[in-house]
Amino acid sequence: MSSPDAEIWPLAVFTLMVLVLVITMLLMSWLLGQRRREDATNEPFESGIVSVGNSQIRISVEFYLVAIFFVIFDLETVFIFAWAVAFFELGWHGYIAMLIFIGVLTVALVYEWRNGALDWGSKVRVGLKEAQTLEAQQATHL
Amino acid sequence: MVMLNLLLILLAGGFLALLCERIDKSLPRIVALAVIIAALIYLITSISGLSALNALQASTPSDPSSWFMHFKTPWIPAFGIHIELALDGISLLMILLTLLLGAVAVSASWTDIQYRQGVFEANLLWTLAGVLGVFMALDLFLFFLFWEIMLIPMYFMIAIWGHENRGYAAMKFFIFTQASGLLMLVAILALVAVNREVTGVYTFSYFDLLQTKMDETTAYWLMLGFFISFVVKLPGFPFHTWLPDAHTQAPTAGSVILAGILLKTGAYGLIRFAVPLFPDASMHFAPVAMLLGIVGIIYGAIAALSQTDFKRLVAYSSVSHMGFILLGVYAWNTLALQGAIMQMIAHGFSTAALFMIAGALQERLHTRDMREMGGLWQQMPRMGAVAMFFIIAALGLPGLGNFVAEFLILLGVFQINEWMAVAGAMGLITGAVYSLILMQRSFQGQPNTHSDKLPLADFGPREMLTMSLMMIALIALGLYPQPILDVSQTALGGLLDSTALGITQ
Amino acid sequence: MNSDQLLVLSPIISLSLTALILMIQASIKRDHRIAWWISTLGLLTTLLSIYSASNFSQDVGPLLKVDAWGLWFSALLIFCALITLALSRDIFHTQADTKEEYYLLLILSTLGAVVLVQAAHTASLLLGMELMGIALYAMIAFPKSGDLPLEAAVKYLVLSACASAMLLFGFALLYGATGDLSFAGMGAKAASGYLNNPLLVLAGAAIVLAGMGFKLSLVPFHMWTPDVYQGAPTAVTTFLATLSKGAMFVAMVRLILDGQLYRYESLMNALSVVAVASMLVGNWLALRQQQIKRLIAYSSTAHFGYLLVAIIALPHLGDTQQLGRAAISFYLVAYIVTTLAALTVIANVGGEEDSDMQAFDGLFWRHPAQAITLAVAMLSFAGIPLTAGFMGKFYLITLTLNAQLWLLLGTLMIGSAIAIYYYLRVIFTMSAEPHQLNKGSPTVLGWRNPVALLLMLAVLAIGSWPQPLIDLIGRL
Repeated sequence: MSSPDAEIWPLAVFTLMVLVLVITMLLMSWLLGQRRREDATNEPFESGIVSVGNSQIRISVEFYLVAIFFVIFDLETVFIFAWAVAFFELGWHGYIAMLIFIGVLTVALVYEWRNGALDWGSKVRVGLKEAQTLEAQQATHL
Repeated sequence: MVMLNLLLILLAGGFLALLCERIDKSLPRIVALAVIIAALIYLITSISGLSALNALQASTPSDPSSWFMHFKTPWIPAFGIHIELALDGISLLMILLTLLLGAVAVSASWTDIQYRQGVFEANLLWTLAGVLGVFMALDLFLFFLFWEIMLIPMYFMIAIWGHENRGYAAMKFFIFTQASGLLMLVAILALVAVNREVTGVYTFSYFDLLQTKMDETTAYWLMLGFFISFVVKLPGFPFHTWLPDAHTQAPTAGSVILAGILLKTGAYGLIRFAVPLFPDASMHFAPVAMLLGIVGIIYGAIAALSQTDFKRLVAYSSVSHMGFILLGVYAWNTLALQGAIMQMIAHGFSTAALFMIAGALQERLHTRDMREMGGLWQQMPRMGAVAMFFIIAALGLPGLGNFVAEFLILLGVFQINEWMAVAGAMGLITGAVYSLILMQRSFQGQPNTHSDKLPLADFGPREMLTMSLMMIALIALGLYPQPILDVSQTALGGLLDSTALGITQ
Repeated sequence: MNSDQLLVLSPIISLSLTALILMIQASIKRDHRIAWWISTLGLLTTLLSIYSASNFSQDVGPLLKVDAWGLWFSALLIFCALITLALSRDIFHTQADTKEEYYLLLILSTLGAVVLVQAAHTASLLLGMELMGIALYAMIAFPKSGDLPLEAAVKYLVLSACASAMLLFGFALLYGATGDLSFAGMGAKAASGYLNNPLLVLAGAAIVLAGMGFKLSLVPFHMWTPDVYQGAPTAVTTFLATLSKGAMFVAMVRLILDGQLYRYESLMNALSVVAVASMLVGNWLALRQQQIKRLIAYSSTAHFGYLLVAIIALPHLGDTQQLGRAAISFYLVAYIVTTLAALTVIANVGGEEDSDMQAFDGLFWRHPAQAITLAVAMLSFAGIPLTAGFMGKFYLITLTLNAQLWLLLGTLMIGSAIAIYYYLRVIFTMSAEPHQLNKGSPTVLGWRNPVALLLMLAVLAIGSWPQPLIDLIGRL
């Protein structure tokens, strides 16, 4: 059995080399490179086009929702692919398991759909109307 | 079964008092008094049926059948824990004292407590039940349970009905006793573990654990666990600081119970558990314990001298008197032990009475400060005379109970170590000094401006009745102590024999 | 998969089905009451299925190990979830927003906890932990009013993510050293003494335990606890303090026992340091708290320090190994029931946000039933006889004595002695004269009273008649 040190030392050397390389590159460019301080030096530069506006834009939350749905449903297809490849080996057992899996997915999809997660723009959520009426009631009470 | 019923009477009585408050505000105290008297009558009738007690048969500690009463039923079999109660001479005396002083405490709370009387009387009865449990429980687990549980109602009595600084005092009292209780818990569990290594079974029974064999260091450490816990409750010298606060801040009835009964559980624990369970270790430790006792006697007396607060002075005098008990217990011979038991009873009565007087003064003058008293005898001659009696009892005048107790203790200690006895006797002198100062500053001398608030009501019939009961008790103890000595001897003989066997082995 | 396996999995299946039904319900007709009833029925069905599965002991695939111990704790966790449900019934009354998802999250979190206590593999451990945790973040931030819940949720989220990352890294190191990801496999490697690199195991295990220590808020990973306890709605605090911590502790015990990590002395020494620090620091920090929920947060740190002592004592026990497991089980049950009782009263009296000590002024006179329950809970925390906490402490001290761990025993006692003060302070506040502001009695909704009383009776029953529970735990 080899000692742990014997296994670790190439790794250590490698790490060291990486560090040295990076430091050298930065140092060289700092030493040799030219330095300029003009008006435009610190401006963001995108393919020759001067940027316009603020980078802190509020992006609609729908984009995130769509991104997450994509991740979820995309990953699910991965499972289905894996099952399809081994379809005959898994037999009825696998078939039933996959049915349950797709069933759960369908429930989730229905849930999202019914709650307006798939709507773009104005939200017509199931619970919202009731909530608004309740709020209005409370406002009149006050 | 008698013993279990006794506990149940008090517990149920507490609930009854709690409920009675809704009907009428003055009902709870009547109920409480009735319950205590009922318990007393029940105990006395069931005792007189015991032939064993009539013949004053000596009990041996390791044989439950020789005790007056013994009751055992399984509780938590997994750990060999039983509900085991037993009664011998010492416990019997302590229980009688507890019930009598319980009645006194109810009397002390008669007009003193104006806020939620029902809850107060319930707490009082539950404290008494806990104390009775401590005096009867002979399963160490059960003993510890009562030991801790009795503090909770007591805590409430101080924290809710106490005087100006009650929160601090109640907290300090509870933390001191609980933290030291933890030490005892560990010592108990360690003792059980050691016993299990030898015998292979879990048992918490006193009768089984008495014969536990263990090496000297273990015994010494375990003994210390018990010792510290009991000495905190007693309280012995370095652990006494909770006592002046708790006694001063507690309502009168609370002080009566604290000084009269709760302190005695510490002394009882030393006699029943700390020494018999670890006789060799205790005897090695005895000089230290006796020294602590002497320091307590002298320190308590000197501290009492410099107090201006009536209750605080009495509280410190308790520290001094409890020093005698510590001294007597660790002398561990018949005379000293009988003296210690006598002291427990006599101190219970005399201090309870003094706290009642303090309470009565506070009720009338709204202060406990002796600088604002003086010359009270003229306005309240009956109270003055009563105070004189109990102060003289406390300083150990021959013919009264306290003298017999202290004399017996000193006599017993003299056989062990002359110088210790001499040092202990110093306490009698200092005791006389602070007691007379107490009398002088409050009842004699020039009337103070404050005491002009005339007319001050003298002791009424209720108070005189309570006081005269305690006076009779003290005189009886002083003039004819033989019955007490006889009853305690039945238990002490066996105890001394069993520990002597331990030493010679 | 055979029918026995299906049967032992039925609690998990039942919980999953409840979650699905809740989702369908939210899609068809949103109704707060219906969602509550579905969740309650789902949890009760799960309890039934646990009962029917209790005669079987099975490994289900490599991931889960369903045994009596796991099932018993699953039942206990479901009980916690039920109490949380009872407390949550009214908390969103006034808030005009969707609240059906809260129940969904609660069921999912419970599902995660059940998976966690039955985990026999690092993968299922992580799955359970994440399922439990992610649902909890959302539950903490569920009430929309106020910044505190949001702050608490974000704090918990960020630090939890950190802990999960550590846990994963630790698993990677353990895998590197042992070549196995199941607890039993790791244990076999450790027992056989054949390990390429024990240092790697130690580093991995230490990192894993640190990750778990975060969830249990052991010192030095306790910083988040008071803020999250205070910020979360009290019902969610109850859930977090009992279900999440209880499940995590059971998983930790399993990892250490099945993975035979107790064979590494230096690891146990490190755990001892953590235990000592938790007992001292937790109790110390609790001393000055003015918010009762913060106080309970710090005290939970101390209590899990006590529990850690039991784990450390296990390898030292020799022939009394059974006592060790019994002690852990008993203490955990006692702690969970007591915490439930305490937080129920806090939810009843203090309301959802206000847990300031002042709200409890003179509670004995204003609402005796609630005050007595809280007092019993505090005494149980402090370990006073006749309460569940005392029996727990009794077990722990017996255990530590048998294992002869004097340092830990000493710290345990110092910690307990400090703790008496702050538990007593709560009782003292309640026994004081009512404050000017809260003269009236708090409005405790009628049916919340029985919940508190039931829990108080449970605390007292476990403390004064522990034999049935001891028997039950002994059979596990």
